[in-house]
Amino acid sequence: MTFETMTTIQNFVMDIPFWIATVIFITAYALIVAEKMHKTVVSIFAAGSMLVLKIVDQHEAFHMEELGIDWNVIILLMSMMIIINLMKPTGIFEYVAIKSAKMGKGEPFRIMVIFAVVTAFLSALLDNVTIVLLITPAVIFIADALEVDAVPYLLSSVFASNIGGTATLIGDPPNLMIASKAQLTFMDFIVHLTPIVIVLMAVYLVVIMVFWRKRLRTRDELKERVMAMDEREAIKDPIMLKKSLMVLALVLVGFVFHGMLHFQPATVALFGAGLLLLIARTNEPHHILAEIEWPTIFFFMGLFIIVGGVVKVGLIKSLSLQMLALTDGNLFATSMIIIWFSAFASAIVDNIPYVATMNPLIIEMAQQLWPNLSGVQLLQHPDLMPLWWSLALGACLGGNATAIGASANVIVIGMAEKAGKRISFLKFMAYGVPVMVLTVAISSLYIWVRYYVF
Amino acid sequence: MKAKDLMVPLVDYLRPYSTLKEAASLLRTARRSEKRIGVKALPVLDDHGSLVGILSIGDILKAVYPSYLYLMDLGEFTWDGMVESFAKKMSDRKVSDLMTQSVITVHEESSLMECVDHMLKNGVKRVPVMSREGAVVGMIYERDVFYEITRSMLDRHAKEGA
Repeated sequence: MTFETMTTIQNFVMDIPFWIATVIFITAYALIVAEKMHKTVVSIFAAGSMLVLKIVDQHEAFHMEELGIDWNVIILLMSMMIIINLMKPTGIFEYVAIKSAKMGKGEPFRIMVIFAVVTAFLSALLDNVTIVLLITPAVIFIADALEVDAVPYLLSSVFASNIGGTATLIGDPPNLMIASKAQLTFMDFIVHLTPIVIVLMAVYLVVIMVFWRKRLRTRDELKERVMAMDEREAIKDPIMLKKSLMVLALVLVGFVFHGMLHFQPATVALFGAGLLLLIARTNEPHHILAEIEWPTIFFFMGLFIIVGGVVKVGLIKSLSLQMLALTDGNLFATSMIIIWFSAFASAIVDNIPYVATMNPLIIEMAQQLWPNLSGVQLLQHPDLMPLWWSLALGACLGGNATAIGASANVIVIGMAEKAGKRISFLKFMAYGVPVMVLTVAISSLYIWVRYYVF
Repeated sequence: MKAKDLMVPLVDYLRPYSTLKEAASLLRTARRSEKRIGVKALPVLDDHGSLVGILSIGDILKAVYPSYLYLMDLGEFTWDGMVESFAKKMSDRKVSDLMTQSVITVHEESSLMECVDHMLKNGVKRVPVMSREGAVVGMIYERDVFYEITRSMLDRHAKEGA
């Protein structure tokens, strides 16, 4: 917390910078939602405008986590992307996909369940967007082999990916951002979110049974087609596979203990990426680094600066005051509002800019409630914790409702369309909305029981 | 040697609204030189005779190749009959969905080297030849260029620049 934000807590003024920042913020978000321009272009230009119009200065934008780029998030994302890019050519993802289909014995519904569980699990360990990018081609491939409609498989695995990603700090970008802002550890997420996500997955498997079990039929000779595939042929580079699994395991162990060892998660991930680059004897890192999703990285960087601008001028604070007035300081009501509002907001807006805005809003709210506290004592005040978990659950699970709710959805629908399997906006919603409402309802029950009843 | 001297004059062409099946049958039987032995690409002309694209056998290969295989190394897991079943599925698709829309063309007065230049720089093997009025008058095929080039090599009596 800076001195400046302290002094403006009670009476900020709606001066010219306030309006400039607010207009930039609203225009940028409107353009991102409208999707007429690439969101990264909007984000970079709006961030540049915040700087050029002196809403934030360059020091604030580049070197202060409260008002500028959160390098924790950026470096963690980039490092995980490097690790995955190095793993991809080993054939491990093809192996997992074929192995999963064979474990399902060629039975269409059993394969759907296994794909959903595997996707959810991988999405919790690696970034869920990357996982759907790697799994979707194989999902369509297996559906084609069985000559069944690929769309149910695509929908069930993308929902599973968004649910699974909710479980851990690294699973979904909103969690990454929340963790960094609230200084939460990997283990905090394991303790508070993983249990409920396991419950949600169990319920979700029942849901897909209702949706699709009776509608998937294939013939015996087509099952044979799948059973005849030899997954071992997928492994192209067993030595590199061993190396990368070792490093991945090391990174995960590092995440588990990062709180105890006083490392930030980004430190662990960056070390892992560096180590894997080293032992892979990468002499030509150019193409590995070029494959980092730079548009996503720059989208994040721009957003942090845009949000920093509206935090600095007090817009976020005034919103947080209104939120407190609305609930009269009742934090259970606030939690419920956050989880449901986040779910519906994330269904419509990309959940990344949404969480980028909500994070400082929750911090401002905490500053109103406990003006004498600061640092971790403020950010992790026991009464504040359920708000963070509500935000994470709402923002991640809300993404399932619509075709544009989460980046994973957009990717899967795009790939499906290219393969000639169109998933219309309404078709996605017909399955996505029930999944979203059910998972968020169970999550709010969880928040209530775990944090307010006992 | 100019483009117009080497080209196969325009006889066969495709329509954007034709199906892939019709296009395939024409590609298999189109006239080249004296015989109807098929060609590897044909221009696509609309009802006004304007060039709107080109459809090659490569485009047809791509049509039966599922896009997801570009993204994952699953080639060794494909099954017997996969190509055939995809081909059947695609047979009623429109030529306009599968043709290459941006076409590299040469003028009928263009030199042979200009044709080679376009082929190498753009990675194409067949180039429509345009008249001064902007109509397609023929096609230059890589194989004909090859014959011309090798004829100059093999014919001892061929004169420089003939």
